[in-house]
Amino acid sequence: MNAEHQVEGLLRELAPQVLGTLVRRHGQFGACEDAVQEALLAAAVQWPAEGVPDRPRSWLLTVAGRSLVDGWRAESARRRREESAARDPAGREQAADPQGASHRPADDTLVLLFLCCHPALSPPSQLALTLRAVGGLTTAEIAAAFLVPEATMAQRISRAKQHVKNEGARFELPAQPERTERLGVVLHVLYLVFNEGYTTSSGPALHRTDLTTEAIRLTRLLHRLLPGEGEVAGLLALMLLTDARRAARTDADGSIVPLAEQRRELWNTTAIAEGQALLTRTLGTVPVGPYQLQAAIAAVHDEAPTAEETDWPQILALYEVLAQVAPGPVVTLSRAVALAMVHGPKAGLALLGTLDTDDRMTSTHRLEAVRAHLLERAGDTTAARESYLKAARMTASVPEQRYLTLRAAKLRQPAPPAGPAS
Amino acid sequence: MKYMIMMFGGLGATMQTRTPGWITGMQDFMMKLDSELKEAGELVAGHGLADPGQAKTVRFRNGAPVPTDGPFAEIKESLAGYWIVEAGEDRAIEIASRVVAYTEYPMEVRQVMHESADL
Repeated sequence: MNAEHQVEGLLRELAPQVLGTLVRRHGQFGACEDAVQEALLAAAVQWPAEGVPDRPRSWLLTVAGRSLVDGWRAESARRRREESAARDPAGREQAADPQGASHRPADDTLVLLFLCCHPALSPPSQLALTLRAVGGLTTAEIAAAFLVPEATMAQRISRAKQHVKNEGARFELPAQPERTERLGVVLHVLYLVFNEGYTTSSGPALHRTDLTTEAIRLTRLLHRLLPGEGEVAGLLALMLLTDARRAARTDADGSIVPLAEQRRELWNTTAIAEGQALLTRTLGTVPVGPYQLQAAIAAVHDEAPTAEETDWPQILALYEVLAQVAPGPVVTLSRAVALAMVHGPKAGLALLGTLDTDDRMTSTHRLEAVRAHLLERAGDTTAARESYLKAARMTASVPEQRYLTLRAAKLRQPAPPAGPAS
Repeated sequence: MKYMIMMFGGLGATMQTRTPGWITGMQDFMMKLDSELKEAGELVAGHGLADPGQAKTVRFRNGAPVPTDGPFAEIKESLAGYWIVEAGEDRAIEIASRVVAYTEYPMEVRQVMHESADL
């Protein structure tokens, strides 16, 4: 690891702590967030050249604090009125925090995470704000990760901050039962960041490693802060067990390689072992939740030395529990695959049939793609080909479209020799 | 000068009769051209569009905008993707010609309007 990487890692870790301290002190989330970004940029330029200061956290606090004050001086009287209004919640902080709060930097990180995942924000805004305020990524980096122009992302982030402010959100952990509910949103946002990196929903590159790595880093952080939350551990395990297959998931030219055809020797055994250990510690000690179940399913896949040796009956059993705990069309879809592996493609196709009238399935290609695979396994080439092509027309992902079109083309009856024009 | 090069012909209607080899070759060709334009600094923007079967049309009906599914008809003539390149007309036509030579689908080359005065 070189000096620049070390500085980057340190900055990412300190970013939410410094922001948390500033917001506690001054109460203005938006302005503090801007100030921290400026301090991070200054550090990213100075530290690799001049060396990391002895107390990097204080350095960042001083620079960010100065930039905050400069900002206030430059602002109009209107802004100053807002500032004093925003100071007020800080006064009520003690009363709202029954534990007396020792305000360790780590607690601030947790509060920030909850704030960025405010339910009033749209998921894209929650994602962007989390990556900037908690992840310490720059607007340019986030924009590049989501393949949008920087100006678009800057606007999205600034609107999100305005929205949080308008909602009157306070810098404190929500009380129960809202806290549990909000933790669900936080986990969902981290899951979306991971998925966005793992299977990009659009565009030519299938992996955007940075987002996957960042999602794992943030979930790991959350797990450290809330070690007793089974679903946090479950989500971290799910990410590790899924990301472990990354190197095998695409071939040299970037095409998708389905699980059954992956070269398993490319799987990351360290990540698999860590995910399994997490699951072993968690399962059975807390109420089981959807992330733990999905992680358990991923673990069963990862444990099989070859695709043929996959313990499908166990996977089917896990999907049946998942369908009880968190029913939904996507679970039904996966359950149909497991069912087909255990009881044959016809059984799977029958279960898929129950999704035909589900409105939530009309805008995704997945139902048609799964049907195509099962029809192919059942030997119905003509129908399989039609389903592959239909799925290809429905997806907006270039690699998935390429994969589905090729599967269809391979099923075509060999055409009789003809002239060059077809 | 900027030109928009538009490709027509949707996946559904045009891919069904092609061989796996042709499809792979076409995808390689497009990706190669794409990175070539990027490396040359000519590419301003470019995207493929999802199949028109997923499209919605918003029409002004009875004094109000009404979204409907489609258009489903004339899929062969629907926009499939575009590049915007920073280049002269000759170069834009050259790029389009290379694609047409491979895909045999028609392409349209249109200059992008700009805010500065024409010299």
